[in-house]
Amino acid sequence: MKKEVPLIITFISGFLLIVALFIPHEPFGSLQERFNDWYIIVSGFTLILGVDSLLLYHWRKIKTKDKDAPYSIILIITFITVLLWGIYSGVKHGNPFAPASTFLRYFYTYMFVPLQATMFALLAFFIASAAYRAFRARGLNATLLLVSAGLVMLGRVPKGEIVVPFFIAITLILIAIIFVLEAVARVSLYERLLYFALALISLIAIIPLSILLREYLPALADWIMNVPQLGAKRGLFIGIWLGAIAMAIRIILGIERTYLK
Amino acid sequence: MLFLYFIFLLSPPGNVKARDVPNDAGGKIEVTWKLSPDDSLLDFYIIFRQTQTEAGWSTPETLMIVKRGLSKITDTDCKDGVKYRYIVRAVKGEEWVDSSPSNIAISSAQWFHKKRASALILLIIIVGLLLFFIQKARKGEELFIRKITGLDAIDEAVGRSTEMGKPLLFTLGLGTIADIPTIAGLSILKRVSKKAAEYETDLIVPCFDPVVYVAAQETVKEGYMEAGRPDLYKEGNVFFLSYDQFGYAAGVDGIMVREKPGAIFLQGYFYAESLILAETGNSIGAIQISGTTAVTQLPFFIAATDYTLIGEEMYAASAYLTKDPLFLATIKGEDWVKILLIAVIVLGIALETIAYFLKIPLLHFLKQFFTII
Amino acid sequence: MREFFERISKIDRRIIYLIVLVGVTIPLLTRKGFEFKPLPEVKNAYNFIENLPEGSNVLISIDYDAASMPELQPLLEVMLRHLFRNNLKVIMMGHWPLGLPLGQIALEKIAKEMDKKYGYDYVFLGYRPGIAAVMLNMGKEIRMVFDVDYKGVPLDSLPMMREVHNYDDIALLIGFEAGSVGDFWVQFAQARFGQKIILTSTAVVTPDLYPYYQAGQIVGLIGGLRGAADYEILVKRKGFAYTGMTAQTVIHVIIIALILLGNIGYFALRRMR
Repeated sequence: MKKEVPLIITFISGFLLIVALFIPHEPFGSLQERFNDWYIIVSGFTLILGVDSLLLYHWRKIKTKDKDAPYSIILIITFITVLLWGIYSGVKHGNPFAPASTFLRYFYTYMFVPLQATMFALLAFFIASAAYRAFRARGLNATLLLVSAGLVMLGRVPKGEIVVPFFIAITLILIAIIFVLEAVARVSLYERLLYFALALISLIAIIPLSILLREYLPALADWIMNVPQLGAKRGLFIGIWLGAIAMAIRIILGIERTYLK
Repeated sequence: MLFLYFIFLLSPPGNVKARDVPNDAGGKIEVTWKLSPDDSLLDFYIIFRQTQTEAGWSTPETLMIVKRGLSKITDTDCKDGVKYRYIVRAVKGEEWVDSSPSNIAISSAQWFHKKRASALILLIIIVGLLLFFIQKARKGEELFIRKITGLDAIDEAVGRSTEMGKPLLFTLGLGTIADIPTIAGLSILKRVSKKAAEYETDLIVPCFDPVVYVAAQETVKEGYMEAGRPDLYKEGNVFFLSYDQFGYAAGVDGIMVREKPGAIFLQGYFYAESLILAETGNSIGAIQISGTTAVTQLPFFIAATDYTLIGEEMYAASAYLTKDPLFLATIKGEDWVKILLIAVIVLGIALETIAYFLKIPLLHFLKQFFTII
Repeated sequence: MREFFERISKIDRRIIYLIVLVGVTIPLLTRKGFEFKPLPEVKNAYNFIENLPEGSNVLISIDYDAASMPELQPLLEVMLRHLFRNNLKVIMMGHWPLGLPLGQIALEKIAKEMDKKYGYDYVFLGYRPGIAAVMLNMGKEIRMVFDVDYKGVPLDSLPMMREVHNYDDIALLIGFEAGSVGDFWVQFAQARFGQKIILTSTAVVTPDLYPYYQAGQIVGLIGGLRGAADYEILVKRKGFAYTGMTAQTVIHVIIIALILLGNIGYFALRRMR
């Protein structure tokens, strides 16, 4: 019974919502909105569960004199302070975020906003370190990814096209060096000549490539974003939504029941 | 005097038409009219409504006042089955002129949304295919699923973490229980918790959403139970952290730095915090397995973590991990739907291209069929 | 030699952070900007607003919070100034309750600056829970969701709101997006009610919104700092976003240089082995 009842509820509500999409007539027409309203009401109450868990977790740490207990004390004090402050401002001004409220002026503007912005700003550092670590030309795919990332990054900022010849020159010179080293290491004359020729081509390519990209870099970056990028993304989206539909059907039919006890 | 009067004589709005709004729950009539030729001189239009009673048409009631230039309104206050007609009055200062009354319209509710027929047909095909393969699986047919390295790596990650004597960390991202990626994440959590119980390793699960927190708690308990070690389950290891995106990110980062988990699982729906979590995880040297259907966050995960479940691979997780034939059947059904969709897309592209070059409007039928409102 | 290559292929992350910090801070402090041409999707957004008849209602939705404030707030102020300058009326609401005060602060600030009157030129509706439910009901009647403004004043007591009932009465919706609410706006307000929409978003979210722009479901897209800078150029009021673009150029160049260094080290080491 413990499992059957939730499964029946899942099946009925899932089925009803699908049917409701195709029937504008009442009572089906407004079913989606009604279910949404119910969900909002129920999820509002679940926040109490969360608060209970949070406070209990930290209370336990304080009680067992865990090494991180001081942080837990700070958390509980802050939690109570912010809650009471918000209620006080809410009662006084009708809304804790009213322009005149001290909650908005001091807590929100001077603590909450900078703290959130700081966390978000960490991304700038993390993107740099992740890109540095991950973008290695390990194979053909990785190289393509690397080149297109570089082109888009430079193509989307002002004056990127001025810097791009510089990077192209360095890259192609490096490639030429690799070819030369490769040529020196080879024994057969034919292979040696081939690698020297490739090195030479890389060096010569610097000039036309630089001129072309200086002119067309933003357009190329846009093309990469709008054509290959979007195409791949749409494919991913279709797959993801099909997967979601299959998953939803599994849930409605009661095959997938991980979320149940 | 006569001359002045002539100048200010306004032309009425013409061709007032009323019709029931299609594909709705009733109670609505759409009224359209042709703008008065003097539209640019007008102040506004007044729309009057008359109801038919036994004694004939009622006195006109003011329904709405709209700006000049508008030629369409929707009357949202109709009673189904009642006969209405509408008059549009053009007003300029003291002057006004009425249109002739519209045709009679009756609002009604529809039992089928005609514009969504294509969605219904697709739905029937998709569900039909899925049920077909489920049925086949019930009869015991063997089904093959390709290798998913990210999922194979789970056992290895748990094992390595145990060897190092470090706990495991699992985050379900910012999704609510209504998000399908979260449910997929839960099925992976179950596997991880089972393994954690077998290896006697601690599993920490900080949660963002309170409902997900409850579900995660149950899932982990169940995992420990399945492994036969319910005694190892620690109540305080699955907990609610914060309902604020970056508060949550800061909290999880803090746990990573303090507890130094040996393996980190990022499975669910993520937003901008994805890289903040993944990079911190990388900096403490943990082996990381990520998975999300948030396409924008996938590049970050691929760059910063060791294994990534890309999009639908996540949805296949429970099928892959349990090898349950019913699960596998739905994946097989999905593949067939994909083939079907590719065929329709190719056909659509061909039809639209031909229609564009040969200017045959008839060939747009497929596009029109799939245009849903 | 080997040691050198090893070092450049494994630069300590703290050094990278330091380089990034310097690379961002210096351009921001010097406040020097480069000239550049606005992107077409931003130009379309600007032109659409320019061509709105005076007195049209524009609905602004605040769907971001403090985390994305540096990226979206300057643009919000610039856009509000543009709207008020063109004598358009602003209705503000939002789906991110903790970000709404930011919208309110900007709205009050710019309205005061442009001498606009509450209830006549702009209103602030506030927040109601339930993203999809709010959007769907607003398509029928705004009063089903917001019967009063944030101060509790009935909508019918606000002169500019008397004739506003649903999306039909709103000439343009501008969504400020830091998450997935933009998708909802397109799915519900545009697809179901034909609402004209401009989306402005943080750079992380922007690639998700391009398909809507390509498909013509939104009339304009202003993405990230670049979009904001473009908009500043178009309204001829260069500010924070415009100078911020210099920092972005510098940081992109730094990242590419780092990637290049990493690859040099990688290849050199591979050869030595």
